[in-house]
Amino acid sequence: MKLTQLITRELINLNLEGSTKDEIMEEMVNMIDRAGALNDKEKYKESLYKREMEGSTGIGFGIAIPHGKSESVKKTSVAFGLKRSGVDWDSLDGEKAKLIFMIAVPTEHAGNEHLKILQLLSRKLMDDEFREQLLAATNVEDVVQLFEQMV
Amino acid sequence: MKLVAITSCPNGIAHTYMAAEKLAKAAEKKGHEMKVETQGSIGVENELTPEDIENADGVIIAADKQVDKSRFHGKRVLEVSVTDGIRRPEELIAQFERNEVPVYAEQVASAKLKSITEVKKERSQKQNPIYRNLMNGVSYMIPFVVIGGLLIALSLAIGGEPTEKGLVIPQGSIWNNILNVGVASFTFMVPILSGFIAVSIADRPGLAPGMVGGYIAANGSFYGSQAGAGFIGGIIAGFLAGYIVKAIKRIRVPQMIQPVMPILIIPLCSSLLVAAIFIFVLGQPIAGIMEGLTSWLNGMQGASKVVLAMILGAMIAFDMGGPVNKVAFLFGSAMIAEGHADIMGPIAVAICIPPLGLGLATLLNKSKFTNEEREAGKAALAMGLVGITEGAIPFAARDPLRVIPSIMIGSMVGAVIAMLSGVADHVPHGGPIVAVFQAVDNVLMFFVSIIVGMIVTALLVNVVKKPVDVEN
Repeated sequence: MKLTQLITRELINLNLEGSTKDEIMEEMVNMIDRAGALNDKEKYKESLYKREMEGSTGIGFGIAIPHGKSESVKKTSVAFGLKRSGVDWDSLDGEKAKLIFMIAVPTEHAGNEHLKILQLLSRKLMDDEFREQLLAATNVEDVVQLFEQMV
Repeated sequence: MKLVAITSCPNGIAHTYMAAEKLAKAAEKKGHEMKVETQGSIGVENELTPEDIENADGVIIAADKQVDKSRFHGKRVLEVSVTDGIRRPEELIAQFERNEVPVYAEQVASAKLKSITEVKKERSQKQNPIYRNLMNGVSYMIPFVVIGGLLIALSLAIGGEPTEKGLVIPQGSIWNNILNVGVASFTFMVPILSGFIAVSIADRPGLAPGMVGGYIAANGSFYGSQAGAGFIGGIIAGFLAGYIVKAIKRIRVPQMIQPVMPILIIPLCSSLLVAAIFIFVLGQPIAGIMEGLTSWLNGMQGASKVVLAMILGAMIAFDMGGPVNKVAFLFGSAMIAEGHADIMGPIAVAICIPPLGLGLATLLNKSKFTNEEREAGKAALAMGLVGITEGAIPFAARDPLRVIPSIMIGSMVGAVIAMLSGVADHVPHGGPIVAVFQAVDNVLMFFVSIIVGMIVTALLVNVVKKPVDVEN
């Protein structure tokens, strides 16, 4: 399995419109919903906000990874959005989030393969160079390339 | 310095691994050794061993979730939130460099301390014991199946010649020797399976009675049967031997004869008992079942060909070389002599579907099989090609209730297609190899039947089987 099976082209948006955390959450939930990965959009959103309550997923380095594990998710999916001007995500370092990865994971799943991919992505995001390459992407193809090459 | 760390977060999807990555990188940068155990939604990975902990100068727990600290009694332990692990790993390590971290002392009585091995042992004891015992037997058996199957496959494929008696390797050929090595390895298959099932139940004293019982189970001559009881008989023998030994071990004996119990009394009595049960209680019914099945099949000759193909397919797959399989096979062979090679055709198809289908299943969904099984899957593919149904046994013995129905259905489907399309086989042997020897009529449909049966088997198995737990 490859990351690009979880982040398909329709789940990549390099010019997020929203200017607040809530707007961007809404925008990206819609992306995942349009991709047909959700049974119940509202329930999934609830799970995202519940996780945010436990502590912001703005982990610093300009990254936010809102994630929800919910029965309302049909298929493990990741949406990637870029907000070049940054958005306030209550991040731990006060920095604005520019790279936003929204993760949707079903409660029941067969096998761990998709979790391994998410693990790989999480580790890779700690790599300064990888983040810079993502920020420098000008089109969806660039991003797909980066995810394809991820080892 | 040598450090160890544990990272964990509530969902276990991202933070756990980010913290692990950051901590490991920071340690490397500062020239320290660090091993990080992650407790995420995949389960525990890169688990710290007692030696790792023993040798560590300090422990970092970066978690927003309860982590069991009992294993770190007496170590310097720094507990922080998982985000600290991501945000300031270098600072955390610096605290150890400056010797600022206090030693952690377990509050409860130290008698309660559990080592990781004890925890693991407990965990495996919680597994269904029958499953655990089967597993043990199967894992020792697999190498025998693989060696035997591959050598037999290789010698049949290269040195074999089709005759009325099946594929025969000419005497004096080097392939004959190689075949015999393979056969020797196969001979151990059932005894090893039952021996190590018994060991799993009753420890070392179970080995001899288990193996002896397994040998008897696999050799019908002990109880006047044309064929042995196959691997299913071996499983029964293994459990019988294990529980008999366990029961005898419980008997209290005078101190004087205690030393000879494990080497003399227990193996002797339990071997004889297992043998007696097999020969006098189970053997007769097995021989009887075979006779009954044979005459039943003979009576089926006038019946619908489709029904006959379904029955033969199911029988071939049911015990993979055991008595039921043998009855169907012998029936098919006898029919060739009577000029009905179209009965052997569906059988030849059914013979190779279990190993081929299971081999395919291991390729299609890795998460449903252990590493060991995935290796066995490759060997099963090779065995399937030359018609050695036994290649499927490791899978069936480990998870019989899910695997056996799946392969039976796969073989039935294949046999029915072959019967309907008039596939005939003039040599009493199965698998694609008989087509290579040009013993098959309607070769195209022969392969179509095999492929459809394989796919049906593989899909069914992967649907009904549960994923293998990563921790095991």
